[in-house]
Amino acid sequence: MARPAARPNRARAVPTTAPRIPRGMRGPVLISLLPAAVLFSVFFAVPLVVLVGTAFTDWSGTQMAFVGVDNFARLGADPVFAKVATNTVFYLAASVLVQVPLGVAVGIVLAMKVPGWRALRTVLFIPFVISGAAYALIFSMFYNPRFGLLNNLIAPLGLPQRDWLYETGTARWAIAGTFVFILGFVIVVTMAEITSIPAELYEAAEVDGATGWQQQTRITLPLLRNAIGTCVLIRLLADIGMFDLVFILTAGGPDDATATLALYAYRAYLHGEWGHANAVGLVILLLGGALIVTVRRVFRIGERDR
Amino acid sequence: MTATTLRPATRSTSTVTPGRSVRRTRPIWATVVVYAFLAAVTLASLLPTVWVMSSAFKTASQINSGSGLLPSPWTLQGFVDAFTQIHLHAYIGNTVLYAVGGTTGALITAFLAAYPLARYSFRGRNALVATFSLALAIPLVGLATPLFFVVRSLEMFDSRLGLVIFYSALEFPFTFIVLRSFLLSLPGEIEEAAIMDGAGYLAIIRRIVVPLARPAIATVCVVAFVKIWNEFFFANLLTVSADNHNVQLALAGFKSQFGFNITGALAGATMVMLVPIGLFLILQRQVIAGLTAGAVK
Repeated sequence: MARPAARPNRARAVPTTAPRIPRGMRGPVLISLLPAAVLFSVFFAVPLVVLVGTAFTDWSGTQMAFVGVDNFARLGADPVFAKVATNTVFYLAASVLVQVPLGVAVGIVLAMKVPGWRALRTVLFIPFVISGAAYALIFSMFYNPRFGLLNNLIAPLGLPQRDWLYETGTARWAIAGTFVFILGFVIVVTMAEITSIPAELYEAAEVDGATGWQQQTRITLPLLRNAIGTCVLIRLLADIGMFDLVFILTAGGPDDATATLALYAYRAYLHGEWGHANAVGLVILLLGGALIVTVRRVFRIGERDR
Repeated sequence: MTATTLRPATRSTSTVTPGRSVRRTRPIWATVVVYAFLAAVTLASLLPTVWVMSSAFKTASQINSGSGLLPSPWTLQGFVDAFTQIHLHAYIGNTVLYAVGGTTGALITAFLAAYPLARYSFRGRNALVATFSLALAIPLVGLATPLFFVVRSLEMFDSRLGLVIFYSALEFPFTFIVLRSFLLSLPGEIEEAAIMDGAGYLAIIRRIVVPLARPAIATVCVVAFVKIWNEFFFANLLTVSADNHNVQLALAGFKSQFGFNITGALAGATMVMLVPIGLFLILQRQVIAGLTAGAVK
């Protein structure tokens, strides 16, 4: 399943002629697969089965009765769930519509090898290795209404001073503002894909009199389809379970204006409504699966066009 | 992504430098636009972080007055307080244990599975690889409650050893995928010769495969270490006593410290951030290859 998603033109040749296991090594091979099988079963397979099984019960951690689709019906009727689902979609949209395009644009510019590109690539990757908890702390400072940098920066411009994270009008935007500028991943994937574009394409365009802008929009951008699709998919899968930032920064407030699906599930878990929490968990997993299928189809990930 | 950066040097990648680098000179205005764009993006990406890091060297009164980007006067009091009052070293100790233990566990488990699944063909091989790989596509927060239940049932809740084992499992799929794609690209002749000479299975892995796989091992180790160092969600879910908390939980608690020791909190946060940043700057190639490889699968 090693999907060469961002690298269609160098699809890995999985050795189809891999030898059979030599006699006498069957035992050792089986034994060496055992730890992985145990870890995987205990921490992935069993929880998955538990999740699916208990999403249709009123499991509280101590007792459990089958309730059919009640948990899901409750989700449908709960305005808070509608709110957290909308918020989650808002964050996903911020990633796809701001983070990815911005990262691709920077990647294209840096791939032109403008002076300083190497240092900029390094510097812009740094936010990607900073933890969500650290980011939360940084931005609780940045947005602080009393001494925060943002209010101080905009004060001379005459813009209104706000409590960005705790006003319903700005809270969601403030949260999105923390992560849409984490561009390192998209930049690196974009640049790697560009190096695989044959130079002859640009030379030919040059001969035909194409301007630099035309070369980037007519050659580079279309050939980045796979890389962009991959970035979109990875960001969506990472953000569908968004938790740390919101949990630490606002705990979902004000009035659930920033809460996410994952936070909603976590609250249900804290209240001992495990069956309900797992119904939400199942929704998150199914949404993740749907996103994978959709994005792979839309961007035709893994297909070649040459 | 995986493959190119992790492939052994024998397979030369035929990447040609794209022609744009040898283009005619750009007009001045285009250069200005390009650098203005890059400067704006860099500021948006890093200004808050740099400001907070510089604030770690300020006095509490300077922070609270919100004045000045740079500290004046400079003080290291926050860095002292981070240890004497916030006891950051205890959290760092825990986190090092989790990160080293979890990385080691994931590495051994994944290597033992990746080798036969890369080298030999047998019934169920592809299904097994697909199943292990699928784990990376699951948004694991969705599994929070069942994971808590499993961990508690195994009496691993709020236990350091329990968290080490859990992190081994958490980093297993990524480590497995990266190692296997690397092993797939290694020629098998050397091992075949060793088998002829009667070398045992473990001896082959230890003396031949592991040394050849060193670049991939370095990559997965540094990436798993950074990911566990940065992990918050499951540390929060699976531990309760402060004795077992990692640095990220400590960081999350710092917000409540703002009232009485803000410099200590910011200095602590700065030190916690500098670990992955430092590792990244030193091992840039490995971190980039690994983080993008693991994500792309």
